[in-house]
Amino acid sequence: MKPARFNVITQTSIGLGLWFWFFVALLPFFWMFTISLRKPVDAFSTPPKLFAPITFENFRYIWVEDGFWQYAINTTIVTALTVVISLTIACLAAYALSRYRGALGFWLLMAAMVFRAMPHVVLLTAYRPAFFELGIWSRYETLIIVLVAINQPFTIWMLRAFFMNIPQDLDEAALVDGCNRWQAFFRVIVPVMWPGIITAGLFSFLLAYNDFIISSQLMNGDMATMTAALGNYMGQNQSVVRLMHGIAGAVSITIPIVILVFLFQKQIVSGMTAGAVKG
Amino acid sequence: MKRSTFFSFVAPSLVSMLLLIALPLVAIVYLSLHQSFTKTELREVKTEVPLFGGLTREVVRTVPQSVLDENGNPVRVWQYVGGENLRNALDIDGLESALNVTATIRWPREFISALYGEISDVAFWSALEFTLLYTFVTTPIILILGFGLALATNRIIKPLRGTVVSVTLLPMIVTPVVSSLAVYWLFIDGGVVTATLEAVGLGKFYFLADPFTIRAVIIAFGVWFAAPFAFIILYAGLQTVPEDPIEAAIIDGATPWQRVRYIVIPYLSPLFAVITLIHVMDSYRVFEPILVFGSSVFANSVQYLTYYTLVFEGNIHKAAAYAVLTVIGVVILLIPIMIRTYKDQKAER
Repeated sequence: MKPARFNVITQTSIGLGLWFWFFVALLPFFWMFTISLRKPVDAFSTPPKLFAPITFENFRYIWVEDGFWQYAINTTIVTALTVVISLTIACLAAYALSRYRGALGFWLLMAAMVFRAMPHVVLLTAYRPAFFELGIWSRYETLIIVLVAINQPFTIWMLRAFFMNIPQDLDEAALVDGCNRWQAFFRVIVPVMWPGIITAGLFSFLLAYNDFIISSQLMNGDMATMTAALGNYMGQNQSVVRLMHGIAGAVSITIPIVILVFLFQKQIVSGMTAGAVKG
Repeated sequence: MKRSTFFSFVAPSLVSMLLLIALPLVAIVYLSLHQSFTKTELREVKTEVPLFGGLTREVVRTVPQSVLDENGNPVRVWQYVGGENLRNALDIDGLESALNVTATIRWPREFISALYGEISDVAFWSALEFTLLYTFVTTPIILILGFGLALATNRIIKPLRGTVVSVTLLPMIVTPVVSSLAVYWLFIDGGVVTATLEAVGLGKFYFLADPFTIRAVIIAFGVWFAAPFAFIILYAGLQTVPEDPIEAAIIDGATPWQRVRYIVIPYLSPLFAVITLIHVMDSYRVFEPILVFGSSVFANSVQYLTYYTLVFEGNIHKAAAYAVLTVIGVVILLIPIMIRTYKDQKAER
């Protein structure tokens, strides 16, 4: 849509509004980054200071002395395996759902929609007593399969939208040429699906990386992921020094996401609009 | 595609969902219908009580003690209690008595205030009240703000648009616990917002200690967090609006506002519906700001209430009752979407 022409006053106020949104969207992150680089005295001074001496002490402490790297490794293992497993099995399912015309496929999608809307606390209520009884508490495998399962409904819906865009003629040509379904899928469909797979992978990553409720409850002590470990720093009666370490931790968690947003902006937008804009 | 091939393709995904989503849903229904406790019995315990000079006296007392099995673990008893947990969670007895008392009061106003008093006393109802307030206040705001931002972004030069989109994505994509914390630090006593308001002479606010302001802050967080989603969808939608009707409208002398009102908004109305539906589902599970702002006394959500009952009270049966109520709510919210999808699917075939 071409924008309409306005007079100078309207133009300026639209511009100002956009700048104001910029400011509001960034202020919390800007302030968090700023105070993470300060001494406790400067970070929570009254009135707040815009400029203060910069120190990397908070980051040095948590990464070097407090073992934050251990949580970072846990996060890396959990998110990497979750994304790989989740994408593999969701691709298979989404492909089948985009090509199968039976009523069963429809009901499966409906069930997936209900599962997708299920708040995670509901599932946690069942996981806690069950995993405790089974003695599979605080293990990578447990958290990974849980996150994979929670990821499935959303990923299936998104990937299905992408598979629907690939013409059926392509598989049929492969089938006529003597491939079976599996060969057609791996040799013909997957190679043209990469953009969609990358987009779905980004969202799987975000879901696993951003999860707090389930990770913080299923993993203890040294097994905690970065996000879950933040809880250790944030108790109500913590000292300011400890709080500063928490802020450094929060910034450490944010940086990979900021990089991701600027690198993969197009893919994230296409993933968000895949379901919605096409109806 | 053949049915058997279909099954072999969906099997891994289907099994994971059945095992870790469907089964837990059955489990919470089971948990909510039961009650469990450690079995105790009254037992005589002999203790030697020292008197003086090395003399002791044997005292026999009857004390409740937990029953141990062969391995020395306490025995837990499971009991079927039917709907009792759900009744307690909803406090049906309390509601009934409140209604009976107010039956003698003639004015509807007093009736409503008595009912409201009862509701705000019961954890579940007050949590539901704030969850609904949050949902219904944020939804129109994010639609208007998102649409406004989309129209404004559509006006600026192309190279800048990418930056606007990236910056706008941040509030919704950064780990919710972290973004809640980032906002929280602005509103604490002596935080940037608090100090600025004081400096410009608007007075001293204790944002996190007053029921009204803490609710306002959480709702503002919700808008900041969810408006980007509305923006992205509507901005993508704007790119697909056809030029012809707009040019026709310009020739007919329509003002920019009339063009938006009578061409763009009707064209994008399916997107407004999608955003509303998804946002209502997401609002229903608002959790992180309640946890981070520590606002559960003044502004609780159903999710946080369940989490608190499960983790801090350790009462799995009560938590399961809340979870069952949550699931019922989710299904009610989903009915319109499911009907829509059903119609779409029928049309496709």
